[in-house]
Amino acid sequence: MSPILQGILTIIIGVGGCVGYFYASNLILDKFIFPARGQHAGRNINRANKVRPWLFLFPAIFALSLYLVYPVIGSFYRSLFDRSGMNFIGLGNYFDLMNEGTFRTAVFNNMLWVLFVPAMATFLGLLVAQLTDRLSWGNIAKSLIFMPMAISFVGASLIWKFVYSANPDIGIINSLRDFIGLVPVDPIQVSFWNNFFLMFILVWIQTGFAMVILSAALRGIPEETIEAAIIDGANPFQVFFSIKVPQIMGTIIVVWTTITILVLKVFDIVYTMTGGNFGTHILPSYMMTYMFRDDGRATAVAFVIMILVLPVMVWNIRQARKEMR
Amino acid sequence: MKTKFYAGVATLALLAGGASAQDLIVEPGTDGFNWDSFEEFSAAHDFSGETITVTGPWLQPDAGMLRNVLAYFEDATGATVNYSGSDSFEQDIVIAVQANSAPNIAVFPQPGLASDMAAIGALAPLGQETADWMIENYAAGQSWVDLGTFANPDGEQEMFGFFYKVDVKSLVWYSPEQFDEMGYEIPETLEDLKALSAQMVEDGGTPWCIGLGSGAATGWPATDWVEDMMLRLHEPEVYDGWITNDVPFNDPRVVEAIEAYGEFVRTDGWAQGGAEASATTDFRDSPAGLFQIPPACYMHKQASFIPSFFPEGSEFGFDYDFFYFPASSERDLGEPVLGAGTQFAITNDSPATRGLIEFLKAPIAHEIWMAQSGFLTPHTGVNLDTFGDDSLRAMNEILLNATTFRFDASDVMPGEIGAGAFWTGMVDYTTQGDAQAAADAIQSRWDAMR
Repeated sequence: MSPILQGILTIIIGVGGCVGYFYASNLILDKFIFPARGQHAGRNINRANKVRPWLFLFPAIFALSLYLVYPVIGSFYRSLFDRSGMNFIGLGNYFDLMNEGTFRTAVFNNMLWVLFVPAMATFLGLLVAQLTDRLSWGNIAKSLIFMPMAISFVGASLIWKFVYSANPDIGIINSLRDFIGLVPVDPIQVSFWNNFFLMFILVWIQTGFAMVILSAALRGIPEETIEAAIIDGANPFQVFFSIKVPQIMGTIIVVWTTITILVLKVFDIVYTMTGGNFGTHILPSYMMTYMFRDDGRATAVAFVIMILVLPVMVWNIRQARKEMR
Repeated sequence: MKTKFYAGVATLALLAGGASAQDLIVEPGTDGFNWDSFEEFSAAHDFSGETITVTGPWLQPDAGMLRNVLAYFEDATGATVNYSGSDSFEQDIVIAVQANSAPNIAVFPQPGLASDMAAIGALAPLGQETADWMIENYAAGQSWVDLGTFANPDGEQEMFGFFYKVDVKSLVWYSPEQFDEMGYEIPETLEDLKALSAQMVEDGGTPWCIGLGSGAATGWPATDWVEDMMLRLHEPEVYDGWITNDVPFNDPRVVEAIEAYGEFVRTDGWAQGGAEASATTDFRDSPAGLFQIPPACYMHKQASFIPSFFPEGSEFGFDYDFFYFPASSERDLGEPVLGAGTQFAITNDSPATRGLIEFLKAPIAHEIWMAQSGFLTPHTGVNLDTFGDDSLRAMNEILLNATTFRFDASDVMPGEIGAGAFWTGMVDYTTQGDAQAAADAIQSRWDAMR
C-alpha cells in the first residue's frame, strides 16, 4: 500500500477509533453496567457519573503510562546491564561513571550551564522587555530579538561557528584581536572559556522567549501601583526593582526554571560545535557518545540527567500553578 | 459524492505508486562490459513480483548510482528493490533490528557494527560457497573474507559480510602544476616525503593541509594518519593485535605511530595554520588550500572520496593528482595499503535476497558503478576500462597491487573506541602534543568497557 493511503487509513482508524471508544464505553456504562432504569435508577446514575470521568481519562492515562512511566522504569532496568545488554551488573554503570574523568567534566560543565544560561537569558529578556516597552520601534526590536527562537539549535550553531571562526576575515572575535594587533586564536579551543562561548549561543536563542513572557507580565502590572510609586517620588530604578520586579517574580521563576529544564536537555549545540572535544562535554552530549553502543551506560547517564531535572521541574510546575490561581 | 471520493483515492494512489521502473543507464550490449555475466545471471534467476528492501549509509549521489546498478538486477529477475539511505544508518539499523523491522539487506560501512549485529543473531551467514568465491575472485581475497567473518550468537565464526564498493585511504593529493613549477618530485619513500616537506618549508611554502573537523566525528582524519603510520612502522600482525587490543593502545609501538603523525601536523610550518587550526578545520574545507594561488599548501592526505569536495570544475591530471602515501625504506614492510569498504549483509533472509548477493558477484554489478563514479572494487574479473575516469582506475590499481591490505582500524575497533575515544584522543594529541597521555586515555576507556 502506498504511504499516502496508509496515512489516510491511519487517520480514519484513529479518529474513528476515538469516537467509537467514547460512544461505546458510555453506551456500555449507561445501558448495561449502571442502567438508568429499574428500582435503583437514581443510585445508578450517580454511580455512572462517578465512573465516567475515569472512562474519559483512561486513554490519556494509558498513553501517558505507556509512553512515560514504562520507559522510565524500562530505562532504569536497562541501565543495570553491561554493553551487550545480556549480563546484569547492578549499579556497575553508575560506579564506572563516577570514576570517569570525562563524566566529571560533563557534570561540572553542566553546572556552569545551569547557573549561567537561565540567569543570563532571563536577565537579558527582562532588560529588553523593560527597555522596549515604551519605544515607538519597540516591536521591531522585539521581533529582531525573538527571531533566533525560530532557528534550530543546529542551525544556530552553524551560524555561530562563523562568529567564532579562527580566521580574522570571518570570525568577529579574531577580527577584533587582529585590529588591535593580536595573533588569532581559536575561541573554541580556549579551555574553560570555550564553555561560555557555547552557552552564549543558547542565551542568544532563549532571550527572545524570556522577553516575550516577561513583557506580557510587565504589561499585566496594574497601572495604579506604578502611579502611586511615582507620586511618592520613586525614581525609575526604584520603580523597576521595588515595584515591578516583585510583582512579576512568579513569572520570572517560571521562565527561569523552564530554561533550566531546557538547558539540562540540550545537546545539539555542543554536539555540532565541538563534539565534546576541548573539554566542553555536558551530560546530554556525553550520553550521545554512548548511545547505540553501550545502552546500559547511556541510560545510566540519562537517569542522572532525569534526577537532576526532577526537582527543577517540580518547582517549575508549582510556580506555574501558583501563577494561574 | 461517492464517485468523487473514489476518483480522489484513485488519483492519490496513482500519485503515490507512480514511481516508474528505472531505465538502464548503460545499454546492454555496449562494448567493454561483461554482458555475459548479466545474461547468465538473468537466465538463471527469476524473482518476479518479489520485493527486496535495502538500507545503507549512501545518500545522493551514491544512492542514485546504486539504484542504477540495482535496476539491472530488477531487469534480470523481475524483482523490485527498494533502497533507502540514511546519514544516521548506524543508529537506524540498530533500532530496526531491535524493533523486528529489519530490511532484507543492510549495507554496513563499519565491520564493528556488523560484528555486533552478528553477535545478537541479526545477520544470516552467507555460507562457505560465498567465502570460497571471494578468495578466488577478490584481490587479497582472504583479508576480505576475514573482515566479513564474525562470531555468531553461539560464538562460532561465520562469514556474514560481502564487500562491495571499497575505498583506498593511503593517498596524497597534490597539484601537478604547483609541483612542476617548484620542481618537486613525487616521493618514493616515507623518508623522501619528510625531506620534501622540509624542502617546501625552506622554499617558503606550507607542505600540508590537514583538517580534522567533522562535527561530532571530529578527529577521524587523524586516525587514518595513525593507521597508515602503523602499517609503515610495524608488521601487519602488530596492526591486527592493535585492533583487538591484544596490543594495548598505549603500547610504545602505537605511541610511536601517533608521534609519527604528529611530526607532520605539529612540526612548525608543516601544517597550514598550525596544529591548533588543523584540529578545527573541517575536513571538507581543508583541501581547498591546494587550489589557491599561491597555494596555501602543497599536499593533502585523504581517502579516495575527497575529490567530491574539490572546487567545482577541477580536473584530474591538471588541477589535481595523487600519489601513493609512500612506505618507509628503512623498514622492509612492502607496500601496505589502508582502506575501507562497505559490506552487504542479510538482515532478513529470502531467496530473492540471496539472489541479490549472487548478482553482486557478477562483474557487471561492479562495472555499472565503475562507469559512474566514486567506486573501487577488489574484484579481479572486471574490465578496468569501464572506469568512468582515469583517477579511479589508477586508484584501483594501487588497491590491486597492494602487498598488504588492512581495513581502517578505527572502523573495526568497538564503537566506543574507534568512533569515540580514538577521535577525541587524536584531537587532544593534535592540540596538546602528549601522545602517551592520549594513548593512555584511550586505553583506559577500552579497559572500562564491559
